Amino acid sequence: MKTLAGVALAATLFAGAAQAQNKLQVGCTATTDCASAMVAVDEGIFKKHGLDVEMTLIGINSNIPAAILSGSIQIGGPTSTVFLQAVDGGLDLVAVAGASVMNANSNANITAFVRNGITIKEPKDFVGKKVGAPGLGAFLHVLFVKWLVEKGVDPKGVNFVEVTFPTMADIIKSGGVDAVLTAEPFVTRMTNAGLGSIGARYAAELNRTEPIIFYAASRDWAEKNPDVIRKFRAAIAEAAPIVNDDREKSAASIAKFTKQSIELVKASAPNKSEPVLKAEQLAWWIDIMASQKMLQSKVDLNKVMLK
Amino acid sequence: MSGERWKAAALPVALLVALEIGARASGIQSDALAPPSAVAVALAEAFADGSIIGATRDTLASAFAGLLLGGAVGLALGIALGIFQPFDRLMEVTIEALRPIPSIALLPIALIALGFGYRMEIVIVAFACVWPILILSRAAVRSIEPRLIEVSRALKLSPGDRVRKIIVPAALPRIFLAFRLAAGIALIVAVTVEIAINPIGLGASIMTAQQALRPDLMLAYLVWIGLIGYALNAGLVVAQKHLFGPAALAGEAR
Repeated sequence: MKTLAGVALAATLFAGAAQAQNKLQVGCTATTDCASAMVAVDEGIFKKHGLDVEMTLIGINSNIPAAILSGSIQIGGPTSTVFLQAVDGGLDLVAVAGASVMNANSNANITAFVRNGITIKEPKDFVGKKVGAPGLGAFLHVLFVKWLVEKGVDPKGVNFVEVTFPTMADIIKSGGVDAVLTAEPFVTRMTNAGLGSIGARYAAELNRTEPIIFYAASRDWAEKNPDVIRKFRAAIAEAAPIVNDDREKSAASIAKFTKQSIELVKASAPNKSEPVLKAEQLAWWIDIMASQKMLQSKVDLNKVMLK
Repeated sequence: MSGERWKAAALPVALLVALEIGARASGIQSDALAPPSAVAVALAEAFADGSIIGATRDTLASAFAGLLLGGAVGLALGIALGIFQPFDRLMEVTIEALRPIPSIALLPIALIALGFGYRMEIVIVAFACVWPILILSRAAVRSIEPRLIEVSRALKLSPGDRVRKIIVPAALPRIFLAFRLAAGIALIVAVTVEIAINPIGLGASIMTAQQALRPDLMLAYLVWIGLIGYALNAGLVVAQKHLFGPAALAGEAR
């Protein structure tokens, strides 16, 4: 992220040229978090509001800030941690609307899954274990460390390594790691395959309601296109209830965008859509990221939230 | 010859059969592996819905455009450095400083400066292709029979004519070999860029299939990339033989 910050200046020079597109490009990863945008595309809600939106599937969430600054996408769905680290690194991004938030449902989907032969009775049992996280410094890792700290366990005693979601089952099976920080549908798949058991429901125990992913844009673009932002927010606000209440429609849109099978998508509820983003919700993330020494500067909440 | 080919195919075929039997016997449940039969079905499906064809077009277009761009720059510089020794000495530090930079290390800068799409991928492929072509064409020019150069001097050829009529024809077989090497690099780099960042082409399709928990489709793309690489090299070897005769391939394992 620091290297990105270094060339941020160069980026703004190039960004202008790359923005000469008519379609509004929205970039998200293959999760349910941007379901409101997916539904708004498929149900014609963006069209109704006068927006021609095309969604781009982005492989790795941490590429989203750079993609926004390059003008490849105008709006992206970074996780709270990716967004705040990018802003901390000097990229001039603003949050424009809410996408997904943690709630009882999504928190229940998140667990630390331990392999057979390992028993976790209490948080301190994770000390000395090798724990695979889908990204170090990413959403699940930061939450888990926060949980350890709240339970009085020093996270330095836990050996964290990176394990991507699709490889978790195989690595757990081979004993390459003792536990993985994961979520549905992987928990059910690994449980059904008899690979291990749930060691901790850390997200449920933290019981938070802060944003997981929200829609962000570059400040430059957002300030030049207040009308587009207004329409985008209206469309997302209209699509969010569909995501939360209409499983059929939301599952169809999610399956279409992520290319996952409809059965797989339907196996777990999408993360809750919450179109309104509040500054105090980001404050919680800033606090825990600062306490985990992930931020170098003091991120100004008033600056990163687009009015 | 064809009998030999069949013998060479025996090992991979036996391995595939063993994999299939193994996969069925153990009843694997994996998000990263799939039995060969499932991979074959996924490959056929990807052809049927056209997705693999579009992805192949994106990857090959970027790889070839990058190869041509990088090849042109590398060739021009290589010939110039091969002919003018002072220029070579002047550029040595610059080239040796730039050459070891892995092209993939340019990705963060390229993404932010050029954005997603063909442009970024072509630039990175071109960067990777410049160096092998530059180094080999410089060596090819240097190793031209000195008497040929003397002839060109005796004929009082202009520098342009000297390059066109003497140097390029004499160095061409080795330049073509450099091109063949670079073509392999171009494909590797193009797919790598797509896996890492660029949401187009075969590399991005592999990542999407992986994240959609479709190991069969992911491996189908992998097999297809292997076939493309094989076909690309085979095509270039045929072209090389056709253009320069068997002498051009002397000393190479075929």
